[in-house]
Amino acid sequence: MTSAALVHVVVSGLATGSIYALVALSLVIVYNATRTLNFAQGEMLMVSTFAGFTVYAHVKLPLVVVMLIAVAAAALLGWVIERVIIRHAIAATHFDVLIITLGLSLVLRSAAGLAWTHDEFPFPSFFGTRPIVLGPVRVAPVSLGIIGASLALMLGLWALFTGTRLGRAMRAVAQNQRAARLVGISVERVYAASWILASVVGAIAGVLIAPVVFLSSQMGLVAINGFIAAVLGGFGSMPGAVVGGMLLGVIENLAPLYLPSSIKHSVPFLVLIAILLVRPGGMLGRVARRKV
Amino acid sequence: MRLLALAIGAAGLLLWPWAAPRYFVFLASLIVVNAIVAIGLNLLSGYTNQLSFGHAGFLAVGAYTAAIVATRSPGVPVVVVLLAAALVTAAVGLLLGVPCLRLEGLYLAMATLAFGFVVVEAILNLDGLTRGNDGLRVPAARLGPWALATDTARYYLVLVVGAVMMWAAGNLARTRTGRALLALRESEVAAQASGIHVARYKTLAFAISALYTGVAGGLFAFVVGFLSPDAFDVFLSVDFVAMIILGGLGSVPGSVAGAAVLTVLNDSLAGFQNYRPLIFGAILIASMLFMPGGIASAVRRLRTRWAGHPPMAPDSRRGLE
Repeated sequence: MTSAALVHVVVSGLATGSIYALVALSLVIVYNATRTLNFAQGEMLMVSTFAGFTVYAHVKLPLVVVMLIAVAAAALLGWVIERVIIRHAIAATHFDVLIITLGLSLVLRSAAGLAWTHDEFPFPSFFGTRPIVLGPVRVAPVSLGIIGASLALMLGLWALFTGTRLGRAMRAVAQNQRAARLVGISVERVYAASWILASVVGAIAGVLIAPVVFLSSQMGLVAINGFIAAVLGGFGSMPGAVVGGMLLGVIENLAPLYLPSSIKHSVPFLVLIAILLVRPGGMLGRVARRKV
Repeated sequence: MRLLALAIGAAGLLLWPWAAPRYFVFLASLIVVNAIVAIGLNLLSGYTNQLSFGHAGFLAVGAYTAAIVATRSPGVPVVVVLLAAALVTAAVGLLLGVPCLRLEGLYLAMATLAFGFVVVEAILNLDGLTRGNDGLRVPAARLGPWALATDTARYYLVLVVGAVMMWAAGNLARTRTGRALLALRESEVAAQASGIHVARYKTLAFAISALYTGVAGGLFAFVVGFLSPDAFDVFLSVDFVAMIILGGLGSVPGSVAGAAVLTVLNDSLAGFQNYRPLIFGAILIASMLFMPGGIASAVRRLRTRWAGHPPMAPDSRRGLE
């Protein structure tokens, strides 16, 4: 295997990894605010992307507008789900909310199948198809585009979490809910904001990945790899989610080169089991000590 | 009163094959199989608060073990085949349970989910044993000189095994082990302080749960007669979780009720596959929001109301947060 080809594999791994990182980020955003895992994240991403696609199929708007529509749909979806369902379970245990989001993922996937069928649709891409040639190395523009757009979004999130009032409120709630309430932060509003923000990040990931994997009701399954990425980095840590996502993408792309191809589909799960065995807190995470 | 109801129920179950069309006999067998899985899952999730999304994997291990044993050594009595399925699956449960000791909550759910995927991949890859995607035909179960080749015969087999498993699970809560598991559910720290070996009992819960599912897998193989890996996907694991959520966590009769309702529903929706997940998902959300504790606790509440007692305090159904 030449090193040029290796670069190609690693770059496309980083591109897939960026998507995992975005999905992992959206899972972590909801987790940090509400301490629950949103099983429906992948399906919310899929539905938002479909919303953008529906508009595109009827009126050929520029892709940026399509993405904005998907983002708006995602924000609405996140808000509605939080207000109508999750808010009612605010006193319930994490276990209960986990089951609720599991039910939600079934409902959304099934509803998407009814609305848009279970077929695969080609989705328009921002990026050209002619490979970019740098000396001996050839890279697909879509890979670079996904990596660039994801990095820009991550920078934006970083600015949001460090520089704005809302971001600081969200971090405060993640650290200690009662203390956050004591200093006057509306925890309910942070819940809603977290669901909306997570949904929006997911929608952007969906619009970026849809041209590569095709748009279908099964697209939400990407959330499983997003979760594995988040665990790999240390669940709850945002830098961890990014690093974990990138790493998982590269491992997944490199593994078939060195391992028998028949275990290709199991690679992310084997990575998950390995990391849980060796270091359950992930690379950048800490294992939380539970108090009685 | 209670005895009378039990006697009528038992008579109804025994006479079922003569009253119902053949297909409904098959359906009843399937209900019992699913009920055994639900009881097994409930012993893990309801008793020790460990959620598993991998029970379709255990079911597959049990089913394939039974099918392979029955094919390779024809004439072996069905009891031995089921025992083999139970022991192999329990061993797999033990192997999975030990590393899972370090995990809880979300992590455990995800690790078991991964286990389910890996089992399906393993079935596909071990095609020398399992015939991979082609599927595996299961010979009729044998009991001494008889081959249990009709739906009615298989129904009675499933019913007897199911009754034994249910009786054992109902009594488990009254044994030392059962009390230890229940204590773990309420508070691991308190249980540990009372001298309960947390690691040992959590692993044991995994093994018992896998054992139940392995027996159910063996029965499933004989009832359905044909195994292929796509029958054991993650959505089946989700169905099992839905059964115990709807039925009631920590309740044996609840597990049976949840399994019965969802199996019948699943079957009646066979022509509307697209709506199936929609309805199952809605059931999950609705039971969590409006009927926490599931059918079991709803029945308990109704019974106290009929008996003229003042309504109970909200029942403590699960571990304290």
